[in-house]
Amino acid sequence: MRAFIIMVYRQIKRFSRAKSRVVGMVVNPLIWLIFFGVGWSGVFKDVRVFGGVNYLTYLAPGIFAMTIFNQSFISGVSVIWDREFGFLKEVLVAPASRKETISGRIVGDSIVATVQGAIILFLTLLITEVRIPGILPTLGVGLLLAVAFSSFGVCLATRIQSMEGFQMIMAVLMLPIIFLSGAIYPINAMPWWMKLLAYINPLTYAVDGARSMLTDVDGVFPLSTDLSILGFLALAFLGIAMFAFERSTLE
Amino acid sequence: MKKASWVKATYAIEVENLVKRFGDFEAIKSISFKVRRGEVFAFLGPNGAGKTTTVHILTTLLKPTDGKAKVAGLDVVKEAKEVRKKIGIVFQEPSVDRDLTAYENMLIHGGVYGLSGVKLRDKIERLLRFVELWDFKDRLVRHFSGGMQRRLEIARSLLHEPEVLFLDEPTLGLDPQTRVHVWNYIKTIKEEHDMTVFLTTHYMEEAEKLADKIAIIDHGKIIAEGRCDELKKLVGSDVVYVRVDSNAECFEEGDFIKSCKVLRDGRIRIDVENAAEALPKIFEIAREKGVKIVEMTYHQPTLNDVFLHLTGREIRDEGGEFFKTIVRSWMRR
Repeated sequence: MRAFIIMVYRQIKRFSRAKSRVVGMVVNPLIWLIFFGVGWSGVFKDVRVFGGVNYLTYLAPGIFAMTIFNQSFISGVSVIWDREFGFLKEVLVAPASRKETISGRIVGDSIVATVQGAIILFLTLLITEVRIPGILPTLGVGLLLAVAFSSFGVCLATRIQSMEGFQMIMAVLMLPIIFLSGAIYPINAMPWWMKLLAYINPLTYAVDGARSMLTDVDGVFPLSTDLSILGFLALAFLGIAMFAFERSTLE
Repeated sequence: MKKASWVKATYAIEVENLVKRFGDFEAIKSISFKVRRGEVFAFLGPNGAGKTTTVHILTTLLKPTDGKAKVAGLDVVKEAKEVRKKIGIVFQEPSVDRDLTAYENMLIHGGVYGLSGVKLRDKIERLLRFVELWDFKDRLVRHFSGGMQRRLEIARSLLHEPEVLFLDEPTLGLDPQTRVHVWNYIKTIKEEHDMTVFLTTHYMEEAEKLADKIAIIDHGKIIAEGRCDELKKLVGSDVVYVRVDSNAECFEEGDFIKSCKVLRDGRIRIDVENAAEALPKIFEIAREKGVKIVEMTYHQPTLNDVFLHLTGREIRDEGGEFFKTIVRSWMRR
């Protein structure tokens, strides 16, 4: 348990130190929300397309989920960096349970990602019409999302051997996951094959859940479906990550 | 049973016919050696000789392809978790957390090893003072020099009081002054804590200054093993060169003089067991003979001579090393 707690502490401490990274991670989604969101909301006069709210409000939960997804996925995959720069060896050579250390790391990263999501969410309050009481439960959704994707990132990191592999994953996976989640346009309007991909995308359920809780838009799925699928995925990926990390060696 | 515990008390590391293959490449070709408890044992060899691979096997990070290895009496494959409790390691590549302070680095290491509370804090203070970093404990490691980072890593590796300490090229890339500094720490560790230290290096002076026993490794094989003076005897004895003011004449062989001959340039070459002891005796003989010594030099074989003698190559591959250091410092930016 001690190793778990200390790893959570490590991730949070590191985050609090890397000020420029924090600013960058907050500025990027804000650019999306303001320039992308404000720009398109001038075009979309007919609010019926977006379930009866203006586009900016429709987009806000999407940007929240996107922020957490970006942050948690990258921090999960960055276990590769740890291998390159030694900290992984430090953990592998310690007698502490590897399952415990890696889950501590994942939870620590998830808390960090959720905090960043929260910052974005509070900033969006200023320019959108999201429901205030929906904020706290939405942060819960954010945490599940973060656990799911930082675990997924760790799984990938135990398989990838190089920085080039890391670059490729980022390029091939990240944008499609965002586009196919309903974060920036409704799933219902997609052609069937895109819909299919959206349905197997974990981010879809986080976006849908957050949107149901924050806005008056009717979710694509019932809220209970969003939450149970997301919760299941978070636990499953966490389990796989623990298992994959336990078996990882330097070879 | 009695015998087993005696063996455990004698050897900290026992390696038998250890083999490691990466695909077709055989990094370690059946090596065997034993390290006594409380001994500083150095693995001396050029880059790519298999030193780090051996350390990684002994510290349970890699599985051997064949053979047996025991650390602190425990099998590194079957009892890996128990082994991990008994060992400390300073890796060749820096492994400190650059976004954290020195103190936080120590705290986290302690936590991973299950330490906590006042006991941990006391230990951290003692060790940071030992490596003279206490005054910098709240500074981010990012701003530390290479030498300071190394010292922090040494302090960290001692935090959980390991029985066997592994140091993989502990002074690689450090300037000569810092190197001497680190050597002093290692000497103190050995003296005060009676710890077994397994050291890899390609610096001869390092092996010579620190190690009780040295194994010279090249291309995955141990090519010589013994105390420093034993290894040097492989190449031959010390040599004293003397120039006298009168006609050069050989000194009488026997006693401490193994052989003697007059060189073409007029100097006298005397092979002796131990140059340091022989010098005053040579002066005395010269005085008895009534000749005046005008010049005297002596040469003691170095470990480099030993390596040269055994492999026909120099131990240090300067070009390669220089390049590696640059790449390392570049990658860490």
